[in-house]
Amino acid sequence: MSVSQPASQAESVQAPVQPSDGRLSTGAGGARFAPYMFISPFFIIFFLFFLFPTAFALVLGFFNWRGLGQPEFFELRNYERLMRDPIFFQAVQNTVFYTGFSLFIIMPLALLEAMALNAKILWFKTLWRILYFAPIVTSTVAVAIVFRMLYNREFGLINEFLMSIGLTPVDWLGDPNAVKFAVMGLVVWRWTGLLAVYFLAGLQSIPDTLYEAASIDGANGIQRFFYITIPSLRPVILFVSVIVMIGALQIFDDPQVLFGSGSPGGPANAGLSIVQYLYSRGIGDLLYGYASAVGLLLFIGIFVLSLVQFRLLRGFED
Amino acid sequence: MSAKLQKRIVTILFNLIVGFGGLLMATPLVWMLSASLKPTSEIYRFPPTLIPEQFTLASYERLFSDWPFAAWYVNSLVVAVVTTLAVLFFSSLAGFGFAKYRFKGNRVLFMIVLASTMIPFQLILVPLFIVMSRLSWTNSYYALIIPFMAPAVSIFLMRQFISSIPSELMESARIDGATEFGIYWRIIVPLARPAFAALAILTFLGSWNSFLWPLSVLRQQTAMTLPVGMASMLGGVTAGSEAPIGASMAGATLITIPVIIVFIAVQKHYIAGLTAASIKG
Repeated sequence: MSVSQPASQAESVQAPVQPSDGRLSTGAGGARFAPYMFISPFFIIFFLFFLFPTAFALVLGFFNWRGLGQPEFFELRNYERLMRDPIFFQAVQNTVFYTGFSLFIIMPLALLEAMALNAKILWFKTLWRILYFAPIVTSTVAVAIVFRMLYNREFGLINEFLMSIGLTPVDWLGDPNAVKFAVMGLVVWRWTGLLAVYFLAGLQSIPDTLYEAASIDGANGIQRFFYITIPSLRPVILFVSVIVMIGALQIFDDPQVLFGSGSPGGPANAGLSIVQYLYSRGIGDLLYGYASAVGLLLFIGIFVLSLVQFRLLRGFED
Repeated sequence: MSAKLQKRIVTILFNLIVGFGGLLMATPLVWMLSASLKPTSEIYRFPPTLIPEQFTLASYERLFSDWPFAAWYVNSLVVAVVTTLAVLFFSSLAGFGFAKYRFKGNRVLFMIVLASTMIPFQLILVPLFIVMSRLSWTNSYYALIIPFMAPAVSIFLMRQFISSIPSELMESARIDGATEFGIYWRIIVPLARPAFAALAILTFLGSWNSFLWPLSVLRQQTAMTLPVGMASMLGGVTAGSEAPIGASMAGATLITIPVIIVFIAVQKHYIAGLTAASIKG
């Protein structure tokens, strides 16, 4: 397969053209060809570095190829092996845990945070918004290095604190039962602010009059939350939950840096994510076909969730 | 207890809780900054000192002398700036084409762009890596910039925004003899400034913080970007090869603090851009 193939496809875009729709033309075909000139730089890159690799990935999944020599047609054997691969199974389990934790712990936390930051009785709103939202812009790698130190078994701040209040220290990055929570601790820090931004935008679009009317009818805070806030936020909640699911399925940076390149999956691979496994097989071991099969399975998972997202977005525009 | 007093107590308690949470969120960054300015012995002390007792810049000196940190910084800056400029140009140009012209294939091509946003980058990680190896682009800026100059989401964002610019402006410019590119350059670009600002921030940060791809194509230490270089400081399998904690914290500080300062300055716009990008894109 040659790289030049998609380029010729891009050129063929500049085929016969209809005159633009009754708008003034600049004469010598200026307005006719202009749109193709405008979109072609984008499409050339898009074909070469996105659509072509995508097609390449789909094909690669059926081959055994390590970059040297002739690719060997493998039929479905990559997929069969994956199904019996205990490390892949472990990575899927861990990633499902990450996804569940993100949905059921981090997302509600973000909603609470947004409500708190939106409350009328909150002082110094801008200050708290800056503190809660700053993690959005930080480099995951840099923050993971900091968390690695905070999680340190002997002199990490977290264990020092636990001991100072009389609890037993936890081997956050060494105990297979603890490592997933260590990863999630970092993800909580990174994500709650981001998700809260979306919830905050949703909360601010709920008219005050709804709450006032409910108060007059004698609804208390909890009733107002369940009968006004939650139903009004439904589209936002659905949208955020899809973002969270897709994001959690793609977790890579956090465990990779927390555990370090020596054992990026943590002890007994207890923290290994699917993307980490894809990376180690594809880029580390150069098992191109096998890694592409992992990628395709991940894509199917994400594709299904993205379809849901599109449905939801359509709902938004109404 | 009077209702007024009760309300007061609730308000104070609520503010205390939010404040405590805010301080908790700030702890890792504050600890990082503080640790980067202390000698190693003081870093390990508990309870930690907020303001270093023995203030020292030794960790920063070590960071720059023992690792090519300056090169990493330059690499990250060049890659992020060039990527951002290219994304702004290509996606506004294409967004303009899609928004303001009716041409054969407009709908189909745009649907392809839209559908491609569902494809996760991880699917093309390996094939793109193979392409880069074949082109001998590994360890170069090309691999970090060129494939990311035309993200589908940006086109979508620009098209949405440019659609809202009235077409009458274009027509009167045409009567005055402007070329199509002249219309883009003199009318669309100035009017689309808010969209450019939002897209620029998002793209810059995405590039600055990007890890998986640079990690895949960068092996030479001097070619690394900041996140990849920082991760390499953590060392490999052998114990003891890890960089001193102070130097790591100094590096982490130099990556995050400038970005956070900018974030504080443009906080409102950034949040607005983020919500716009997400709800629409």
